[in-house]
Amino acid sequence: MGLVKRYFALFLGGSLAIVLAAGLLFAQVEQGNYAPATLGQLQQPSPAALTDDSVYQVAAYPQYTPELAEGEGRAETASFCSLCHSTRYITMQPPLPAATWEAEVTKMRKTLGAPIPDASAALIIKYLQTHYAPETRKQ
Amino acid sequence: MANRLPVRPSALSRRSLLGLFGAAGGTLALGAMALRSTASQVRSATPPFTGPEANPYWNSVGPYVTEPQKAPLLLLTDRGVQLETPRSYFQTAITPNHAFYVRWHLDSIPNAVDLKTWRLQVEGNVAKPVSYSLADLIRKFPAETIAAVNQCSGNSRSRLEPRVAGGQWGNGAMGNARWTGVRLRELLRAAAPKNGSVQVQFQGLDSGPGPEGYGSHFFQKSLDMTDPVLDECIVAYAMNGEPLPMLNGFPVRLVVPGYFATYWMKCLTWIRVLDKTDDNFWMKSAYRIPDTPRGNTTPEDVKAGTVKMIPINRMPVRSFLVSPDGDTKIPAGMPVQVRGIAFSGYGGVTKVDVSVDGLKTWQPARLDEDLGRYSFRTWEFTWTPKGPGRYTLAVRASDSAGNTQPDQTVWNPGGYLWNRIERQDYFVGAAE
Repeated sequence: MGLVKRYFALFLGGSLAIVLAAGLLFAQVEQGNYAPATLGQLQQPSPAALTDDSVYQVAAYPQYTPELAEGEGRAETASFCSLCHSTRYITMQPPLPAATWEAEVTKMRKTLGAPIPDASAALIIKYLQTHYAPETRKQ
Repeated sequence: MANRLPVRPSALSRRSLLGLFGAAGGTLALGAMALRSTASQVRSATPPFTGPEANPYWNSVGPYVTEPQKAPLLLLTDRGVQLETPRSYFQTAITPNHAFYVRWHLDSIPNAVDLKTWRLQVEGNVAKPVSYSLADLIRKFPAETIAAVNQCSGNSRSRLEPRVAGGQWGNGAMGNARWTGVRLRELLRAAAPKNGSVQVQFQGLDSGPGPEGYGSHFFQKSLDMTDPVLDECIVAYAMNGEPLPMLNGFPVRLVVPGYFATYWMKCLTWIRVLDKTDDNFWMKSAYRIPDTPRGNTTPEDVKAGTVKMIPINRMPVRSFLVSPDGDTKIPAGMPVQVRGIAFSGYGGVTKVDVSVDGLKTWQPARLDEDLGRYSFRTWEFTWTPKGPGRYTLAVRASDSAGNTQPDQTVWNPGGYLWNRIERQDYFVGAAE
């Protein structure tokens, strides 16, 4: 009886050591970590339908219009700036000082001929300064 | 995991079994806690903008988008189209066409070109105006091929402090391709420029809604008739042996080896010899640099109006550390192949040095095959980090004109000519 007891204790101790060792081994790797995700997911364009004439054509260039910040002057900014370029030109910028935004709008009007009336230009400048300056930019 | 443990449950009482699983579970839990810091997570997106400090990322921060004939590239703007090439595409000396960056100024760019009617015109102050179909260019002239880097003037603009307005490029507004086409000199010779020719102007198929005479209407760039670079210019109809992607200038674009990409007119359709200096917006106001060493100046000097500005021209020497990208940990003691590219607009790359101790000491990297003096040159450096820690590697290149990249920053109002020594931080972990 004593012998059986001793063997059992030995067996139990050995098993415990093995299990602990195995546990430590498994604890050194991590496996099977999956999670739902959409980051980086893009739709795949289907192949184009081609003809053998002299016209070399590609699909329409996609527009990825950004959300501009809510606020007074947003509509003017979106409509006048979009005459020549996407409003991504605004959201792409780092936060710019008020004077820089004023200079940019002035450059668009005077140097590049954008037909923006004075009143609208003032609204646009104010809007950009209010939402896209270092002190104010949030999105 | 429990069923993989080397235990035979039948040999044990229920009590000891529970005890054992408890112990094993405990060690697993401890292990999991230790691993938590390195576990792979579903990652969050880069922020939608950077600043007012310098952009800390290698690339710009825009999302991946798909555009015609392109692999997913990083979006700066969608109209005009501006797309940046992700870092991983610079592991090879030749940039694939489908990954080559894109930069247009105006919003009306070709979706289709009819080669039955399209003609390249050579006109202006010439004795014999002449026009060529694409077939003429391919058949009537010897084909020349050159490997040359095309880099946007504003590449790395997001590094400047204080930040400047403009395309907020990371380092991916560049690419290297084998360009095949006709020597510009041959086309000019055939048209016979008249006496008093000062510059040659280039214009492509792009246009904008702005009023005529303004930069928002046409994009035009000019080079001096006396500029030696004209001897090296090619009107390219092939890029890496294939037709140019529409977004890179199908059917032909100008290749100006060593010069910034602003002169490399896409969809080139008019070559116009001028009898006076071009004073259109894109020459007179835009793409101008301070006439100072490295084009460096300060906002104060610009404001004071004391800075003489000249048209941008050749690309200063640069080098980039491409791989590994620092995104994964490196085990201590393991040799790592550090790779990258180097180039210069002033002649071939002669030397690339790597520092593994935060710019204190420098060791030469191995240069790979030379594809030509205006090409990317790939380089490789074997680095064996001895122990765990955070390491800053840096790379600097020298060119055959004797220029070596400095560690000083650059600032000018256009955000051009950045060529400071590049760094990459790596985390090295314990391996025993």
